[in-house]
Amino acid sequence: MSEQVHNRLAMVRAERKVSRQALAEAVGVHYQTIGYIERGQYNPSLDLALRVAEFFDLPVEALFSLRPFRPLTDEVYGRNK
Amino acid sequence: MTTAGAPRRDRRPRYDERMFSIMNNREADALYATVARRRVAVAVHVVLTVASVVTGVGVYVTGRTWLAIVLIALILPWCVATGVINGATRGLLELRTHVLDERQLAERDRVRARANRLTTYLLAGAVIGVAVCAWTGQVPTGNLLAPVLVAVFVAHWLMPMWVAGLAARDEPEEGLEAL
Repeated sequence: MSEQVHNRLAMVRAERKVSRQALAEAVGVHYQTIGYIERGQYNPSLDLALRVAEFFDLPVEALFSLRPFRPLTDEVYGRNK
Repeated sequence: MTTAGAPRRDRRPRYDERMFSIMNNREADALYATVARRRVAVAVHVVLTVASVVTGVGVYVTGRTWLAIVLIALILPWCVATGVINGATRGLLELRTHVLDERQLAERDRVRARANRLTTYLLAGAVIGVAVCAWTGQVPTGNLLAPVLVAVFVAHWLMPMWVAGLAARDEPEEGLEAL
């Protein structure tokens, strides 16, 4: 079982220009919880992960993964490293 | 972006709203912004608690009025130190369960479990200490009972707060927060 769930929350939040406080209020958690998830210090429950994904209108696997995410530029420009 | 998964905090009773805003008031952030400052706050709280208990027992045993004034003088800074720790933990132990989110509930459970373990060691130490005193006959057990019970009760009551104060983590760094 993976001990850490990797996420792209900080990046997506920055891209969508959503503050931690706004996201926290929308998904019904404390703003610190969002910060801890972004820092990898807390793994969200499935329920919370789905709520965050729903807020951004993204599939949950676009935000959370058991394996580290590839850099977005690699994915967009197709580098295979 | 949707707003589904709605803020459950909208439906909180007024008491919870008030407590939540007090516990999350960030005006005194500087007092507990770093690990070192939180440790100092907890250490000060422990010292003030010990001094208050000793003074309180002194008032009970000697009946001296001036000790009661000292006790009141100790309780005022104790209340401030309590507020600092509660601020550092964002009210982890003071807010009601339905106000806390899943991460806070998990943290509160961890804090309580650790505090319970520490209190168990403390109780074991108290039992052994009283037993040794009774066995050696240095101090009459009857005289020890009340102060030891009060001390253990206070430690049991406040240990979760001390543990929570020491376990509190730094605020997630700013940066994106400015958005």
